[in-house]
Amino acid sequence: MSLFTEFPEMTRTELRDFKKAIDGSFKDFIHAYGEGIENFFKPLLHFLKWFEDLLVGTPWPIMLIIIALLVWAGSRSWSLVLGTVISMLVIGYLGMWENMMFTLALTTVATLICIIIGIPLGILMSKSDRIQSIITPVLDVMQTIPAFVYLIPIVMILGIGLVPGLIAVIIYAVPPIVRLTNLGIRLVDTDILEAADAFGASSRQKLWTVQMPLALPNIFAGVNQTIMMALAMVVVASLLGVHGLGLEVLKAVNSQYITLGFMNGLAIVAIAIVFDRTSQKFGKRLQKHSEVIHG
Amino acid sequence: MKKLLATAAIATIGMGGTAMAEECGDITMAEFNWASAELLANVDKFILEEGYGCDVELIVGGTSSIFASMDGKGEPMIAGEQWVNGVRELVDAAMDAGRLHAVNRGPITGLGEGWWIPAYTAAAHPELETVLDIIEHPELFPSAEDPSKGAFVGCPAGWGCQQINLNLFEAFDMEAKGWVLVDPGSAAGLDGAIAKANEREENWLGYYWSPTSIIGKYSMQPVPFGVEYAGDEHWNNCMSKPDCTEIQQTAWTKSEVFTLVTDEFMQSGGEINDYLAARIYPGPVMNEMLVYMADEQASGEDAAIEFLLTREDVWTTWVSEDVAAKVKAAL
Repeated sequence: MSLFTEFPEMTRTELRDFKKAIDGSFKDFIHAYGEGIENFFKPLLHFLKWFEDLLVGTPWPIMLIIIALLVWAGSRSWSLVLGTVISMLVIGYLGMWENMMFTLALTTVATLICIIIGIPLGILMSKSDRIQSIITPVLDVMQTIPAFVYLIPIVMILGIGLVPGLIAVIIYAVPPIVRLTNLGIRLVDTDILEAADAFGASSRQKLWTVQMPLALPNIFAGVNQTIMMALAMVVVASLLGVHGLGLEVLKAVNSQYITLGFMNGLAIVAIAIVFDRTSQKFGKRLQKHSEVIHG
Repeated sequence: MKKLLATAAIATIGMGGTAMAEECGDITMAEFNWASAELLANVDKFILEEGYGCDVELIVGGTSSIFASMDGKGEPMIAGEQWVNGVRELVDAAMDAGRLHAVNRGPITGLGEGWWIPAYTAAAHPELETVLDIIEHPELFPSAEDPSKGAFVGCPAGWGCQQINLNLFEAFDMEAKGWVLVDPGSAAGLDGAIAKANEREENWLGYYWSPTSIIGKYSMQPVPFGVEYAGDEHWNNCMSKPDCTEIQQTAWTKSEVFTLVTDEFMQSGGEINDYLAARIYPGPVMNEMLVYMADEQASGEDAAIEFLLTREDVWTTWVSEDVAAKVKAAL
């Protein structure tokens, strides 16, 4: 009867040996490949470090002008540019300029890498139902597995610092852009595709001149989501010693500094809003643009 | 247990009332919520129950809650591994007033905070005897992000020791000597950094504390600072504070750990107090046990049995032959 009251579980020793065996083989893996993996990521580290130094090293007025120009180029909205400049000034005045630059560098690079990895993966998924059925569960895992779980193996392989932090951010932030690229391409009207076929378009022409432009609003929604998630992960990345606003939040949490926590937390929110509005407005303009062509 | 008590009681009658069961009875003892204290409490429990015929109840808690309860209510009666630095003023006050007594001022040797390097680094560079020697060689400890600089891994953001490490970094003028202070972000980051360095046999310099399983597992070695401790006054009012302008080079403050007992227990505990005073774990033995606990994911109780079975050389020196025999029989 004990079968019904007690779950038939592994014995303590078996379970312990099972865990130890996996941990052990992971350690063997590190011994064998750890250095190789670290060297593989070296160029990324150099790029990230260079970009970070560039952002921090640029005098703040120039940086502010560049950011304002980028926001204007993306959104064509004076109110957004004004809002951006004011919030950046406030953040800087409250002593968070340098940390903001660190965070901007990390999120920008993370977003770029997510786009570079995510869009091709999304296109691939949209081409084949089989690939979609393989990648979708992987994306589910990446989005839902608690970040703390994969932080430990990442640190064991790569140590602490920028690259492991970046990888943790990418794991969490890449799924939306993959999903939405896939979705956007799949949602393109079959009538339009038939028309393209009728004109004798090759599948490459179809992808770049028909499907991608029409999928752009969705892809942009994906980019937007990716940026938001990357910013949300900044605090988790700081658990691996990535400096920036996230580390200050962590410090505030560990020492019960309420104001410090809110200041840095709200600075992250401000950056997020700027990114979000700019990329959304940019996406909308692209959409208008393509509507003119295809309309 | 019952049987043992009964036997002891009979013996008492027979021998005219000199046995210990009468004096012992019920004891409450703190089991602090970290690994070394769990082990220590469970070893005490086993020895006191089997060797001295006491009835021990363990009370689980953290440093401040246990201390408050002990000082206020006299419960638990014994705190085996009370870290004093964090609650020093309260401990001093309670001891001055005679409410609490330290029966053992160092139940574990070689414990404390400081700067550590891996054993292979120490073996490969015997000339690096102190922190003063090490800071002249940042090139041996290259930072991943900027290999031209040496990496010193400090405390995670927001820990009390973060400021101390920052001040020490400045006091030893390490930035000018080509070092960067790396913030590991979290305990997991700090542990991971040590584990990674050791798995790959890279040199590593950073903050940690003992007794811990990670120090034992990777046989990390504490580095003497090479300068004198500059005194409590300086440490408390300067090294631990931001914006202190008069920082001096200093060794890390000594961590003190006491075995505390309540005044009542001090009066009535008799030979139990002698046991508590004699019960001293050599640091490496404790670290080994912590590695065992971490590797085998063992509870304090399991680890206590393991310790009693395998380290007879250590614990039999704490007790009389008579008691040792009883404990061995119970194992």
